[in-house]
Amino acid sequence: MTYVISASCIDVKDRACVDECPVDCIYEGARMLYIQPDECVDCGACEPVCPVEAIFFEDDVPEETARFTRLNAEFFDDLGSPGGAANSNFADRDHPEIAAMPAQNGAHA
Amino acid sequence: MPPSFVGPASLETPDHGSRLVKQLDRVIIRFAGDSGDGMQLTGDRFTQESSVFGNDLVTLPNFPAEIRAPQGTLPGVSSFQVHFADHDILTAGDRPDVLVAMNPAALKANVGDLPKGAAIIVDTHDFTKRNLDKAGYAVNPLDLLGDANDPLGDFQVHTVDLTGMTVEAVKEYGLSRKDAARAKNMFALGLLSWMYGRPTEPTTTFLENKFKKSPDILGANLTAFKAGWNFGETTETFVVRYEIKPAKLPEGTYRNITGNLALSYGLIAAGVRSGLPVFLGSYPITPASDILHELSKHKSFGVTTLQAEDEIAGIGAAIGASFAGSLGVTTTSGPGVALKSEAVGLAVMTELPLLVIDVQRGGPSTGLPTKTEQADLLQAMYGRNGEAPVPIVAPQSPGDCFSAAVEAARIAITYRTPVMLLSDGYLANGSEPWLIPSVDDLPEIDPAFATAPNHASAKALAAAENGGDGEPDEFWPYLRDPETLARPWAIPGTAGLEHRIGGLEKGEGHGNISYDPANHDLMVRTRQAKIEAIAKSLPPLEVDDASGQAKVLVIGWGSTYGPIGAACRRVRRAGYHVAQTHLRHLNPFPADLGEILKGYDKVLVPEMNLGQLSKMLRAEFLVDAIGYNHVRGLPLKAAELAEAIGQLVGEAEGINVDLGEHGLNPPADHEEMPIQ
Amino acid sequence: MTTIDLGTPSLRSGTESVPAADGPQTGKEFTSDQEVRWCPGCGDYAVLKAVQSFLPGLGLRRENIVFVSGIGCSSRFPYYLDTYGMHSIHGRAPSIATGIATAREDLSVWVVTGDGDALSIGGNHLIHALRRNVNMTILLFNNRIYGLTKGQYSPTSEVGKVTKSTPMGSLDHPFNPVSLALGAEGSFVARTIDSDRKHLTAVLEAAAAHRGTSFVEIYQNCPIFNDNAFDAIKDSETKEHAIIPLVHGEPITFGTRDETTGLGDKALARSAGGGVEVVDTAAMPVEDLLVHDAHNEDPSTAFAISRLTDSGYLNRSPIGIFRQVQRPTYDDLARAQVNDAKTKATQAEGNDTDRLTQLLNAGDTWNVG
Ligand SMILES: Cc1ncc(C[n+]2csc(CCOP(=O)(O)OP(=O)(O)O)c2C)c(N)n1
Ligand code: SF4
Ligand SMILES: [Mg+2]
Repeated sequence: MTYVISASCIDVKDRACVDECPVDCIYEGARMLYIQPDECVDCGACEPVCPVEAIFFEDDVPEETARFTRLNAEFFDDLGSPGGAANSNFADRDHPEIAAMPAQNGAHA
Repeated sequence: MPPSFVGPASLETPDHGSRLVKQLDRVIIRFAGDSGDGMQLTGDRFTQESSVFGNDLVTLPNFPAEIRAPQGTLPGVSSFQVHFADHDILTAGDRPDVLVAMNPAALKANVGDLPKGAAIIVDTHDFTKRNLDKAGYAVNPLDLLGDANDPLGDFQVHTVDLTGMTVEAVKEYGLSRKDAARAKNMFALGLLSWMYGRPTEPTTTFLENKFKKSPDILGANLTAFKAGWNFGETTETFVVRYEIKPAKLPEGTYRNITGNLALSYGLIAAGVRSGLPVFLGSYPITPASDILHELSKHKSFGVTTLQAEDEIAGIGAAIGASFAGSLGVTTTSGPGVALKSEAVGLAVMTELPLLVIDVQRGGPSTGLPTKTEQADLLQAMYGRNGEAPVPIVAPQSPGDCFSAAVEAARIAITYRTPVMLLSDGYLANGSEPWLIPSVDDLPEIDPAFATAPNHASAKALAAAENGGDGEPDEFWPYLRDPETLARPWAIPGTAGLEHRIGGLEKGEGHGNISYDPANHDLMVRTRQAKIEAIAKSLPPLEVDDASGQAKVLVIGWGSTYGPIGAACRRVRRAGYHVAQTHLRHLNPFPADLGEILKGYDKVLVPEMNLGQLSKMLRAEFLVDAIGYNHVRGLPLKAAELAEAIGQLVGEAEGINVDLGEHGLNPPADHEEMPIQ
Repeated sequence: MTTIDLGTPSLRSGTESVPAADGPQTGKEFTSDQEVRWCPGCGDYAVLKAVQSFLPGLGLRRENIVFVSGIGCSSRFPYYLDTYGMHSIHGRAPSIATGIATAREDLSVWVVTGDGDALSIGGNHLIHALRRNVNMTILLFNNRIYGLTKGQYSPTSEVGKVTKSTPMGSLDHPFNPVSLALGAEGSFVARTIDSDRKHLTAVLEAAAAHRGTSFVEIYQNCPIFNDNAFDAIKDSETKEHAIIPLVHGEPITFGTRDETTGLGDKALARSAGGGVEVVDTAAMPVEDLLVHDAHNEDPSTAFAISRLTDSGYLNRSPIGIFRQVQRPTYDDLARAQVNDAKTKATQAEGNDTDRLTQLLNAGDTWNVG
């Protein structure tokens, strides 16, 4: 099990969750944040602090954003388990499906 | 002057010499000395000799709380009382016929218990100024013998220099004077053995085994023992020997046994009969430690003993062992039970088999460590937080501790519950002849471990719709046996039955944590109902109401069985009617107890507390239970109790009751034979 | 009093007598169906996850693993693992585990406890478990606070701590759990951090492999009642300077790493007083730096190292395996005594029933009728 960051994070990247995560498993991509599913310990600290309610427990991901479980996981296909976001820098990349998405409305409002 | 005993069956005939041999039906002897004088050993040996001879007997050791209180002082006095008879007896006797006093303090501390006419054998050796001072004698009472103001005028006093003669007798072994004098208890034993015609062989064999490694000490003890015997034979001081014929007891093989030993054997037997390894977690405490000591000797039966860091750890380890599939046992006394209460609650909640053995002593707090009392009944019953019912079993005599232990294990294992066994200091150290049971006759106890899932999950049931088997596929640790309400006992190592239990309230059946109000109410009631269901497995209560005309019922529990029985015999001898019953099970009560109580006008409850069983009977049955309560750290005295029963019989029947010599009035004041 | 030489039993691994699993297992199999109920962000989640993913690797049958806990937030742990388990009473888990481990050689026994559970109410049981060296692993979740009872100071809280029960600051000097365990002659004593899964897992592996009582202190953040207590050792900026890493056989250094030597700019060395002190690495010949020896029979150096832990706010702490030595375990010895007695007696005198008959009929007996 893991927590999952979904569509509403795209182009928002508030990062409040990063400060909360006790195991530092929320990684910053170019357009959104990703949770490393093997590193996530399901503690739920990130969920309530997200201003755009992007974070869900795996079992509770709404149907319309269901693919984000896969997207979060696949982001790490090549990266593996980096062992902490503080010492990593992936801000130059995204999951190809995310990269291909249109810009979110009012993202920087 | 020879000691002359009063009693119904005394008959005098000369022996082969010129001595008189006097027939007695029973005698009570008390050996008393400083705690370093070996009085317990002396009494124990005399008891063994008497039991091998075939007398019925009951013993009452009484020792100071300190291992060595200051020598020669009253608190340092240690004594051992043995009552032996040619018929079946129930108590160690109220008042000794013979007192053996090894020093002034022993005389002073015990003389008050003697009836008029009793014999006193005094070792004169220690009646020095210093010892007299320590005992609080301003004047040497032995100097006043025969005087008008003789404080011992009521008794037959025999002054003998036991120590001096012992030292003289064992000279050849070249021991220090102190070591030589140590053998004086064997001299005393030899003398008393001669006087009562006891067989000497058991003691000789015993000494040979005990001192195998030190020939000098062995020689000295054997010599002292023989010298004591020969002294009796040759001296003019004692002109009478006594004969107490063997008792006619039920057929079988007997041995003399103390309560703690019988209890230990009962625990081993429970292990053998259930096939479970016994695991004892215990912390030393008087008077329970001997069970720890004894069980530690019997590892060959698969018994593990852990001397824990405290009482809580002792029961904790026992609970852990039970969880792992052993018969967990913890042994202690009242203060230890207080410490264990929270853990007993855990065993109630987790519904694991567990034996909690409380060898009660005088309380509260440290109280009277070496004395007996029955004041932990309500602690056993209610001394936990929450509704935490625990079955309570109590043995009624030293030998009965054996079957009480087996019964406690039966309940614990069958019903998956902690069980309290309430012994006491008197049962623990007192002894009696015990009819050795055949192992095959002991109840078999089936632990019936769970071996397979017992519940079909929703998934399995759904699958059943599509042709699945719908067989149980999960394990519910709180799915109960409908008859006993016992839960399944699945031990680690059993695949597929992994489960978690704990002290938090659990949902009925699945056993997961539940804070649901209705579930809690259900579980509280279910745990209570499970304990109450035990009553269905109990035999009907036996009531001894020979004439069927009694209006007064005397009901007791635990070690008061002897004194109550003896008191009832007295009342009946005096021509009155009284019924007696005794409770082995205090929780739950036997199913027929309520009916039985209703059948009598008055109910008397003698206890060594301030009325704990009385309270329980009153609460449960709304019966006007009348308490007879002594908390003196000593067994109840039969004659006094008989008077109390007599008085109640008088009130119940509207008659004047006078027990005469069967009560406190002279000349009797002795335990009496049952009316056949 | 006489003493008996018990002989030295063959030293074995901690799990040697526990049956192996039939095949590979997954973390999921070790996860129970109970919903995990700690506060969001609680360090307990991290430890649970680490344990769940570590257990399959042990290769033991799930049904032969038992977790026992006391009372506290952390003590909920057993409910979340699909093994055998008991959530017992406050402080008593080591004693219950002692009974389980002694009764059954074929079980892998784990204790989960908190700083209050293990060091306050259960302090006595903890030190005696360590003294006896019963074969089990004790995981002490140290959040330096009473979590479950909502935030009173604990026996590991720093002096002056303001809590509900100490509005003017706590007065009592805290325990250092590692020092305590070493003082009780623990045969395996380690410290690790909830959020460092790699280190935590490595320590768990070593602890499970150790035969005897393995004591593992886990620094665990309580985000509600004692948040940020371990920031210094967790923060990527500060942790290099805050953590004194203990690796057996290597010089103990920390602080800014020298790229070429791999050594930190601070190191431990023996002090003049016979203890251990922090020195500038550069100021010392390399051979004078203290090399960590966890296998040293004498616990003095390990104890001296443990004293470098801050007792106030945690700005510095040695982390790793302090001590790992072989010593006979109580449960092995106890079982050996029982088995020995049983084998001898059975050979000489027959089965339990026959021997019970003999026992009951021993001593002075007589027949009536
Ligand atoms: C006999 C008893 N006393 C007190 C309590 C209340 N209590 C429960 S947990 C706890 C302290 C827990 O602190 P800790 O062991 O540090 O565990 P944490 O909650 O921090 O994980 C206390 C005092 C109890 N359950 N039982
Ligand atoms: S649930 Fe906890 S561990 Fe997982 S990403 Fe959120 S904060 Fe991090
Ligand atoms: Mg805590």
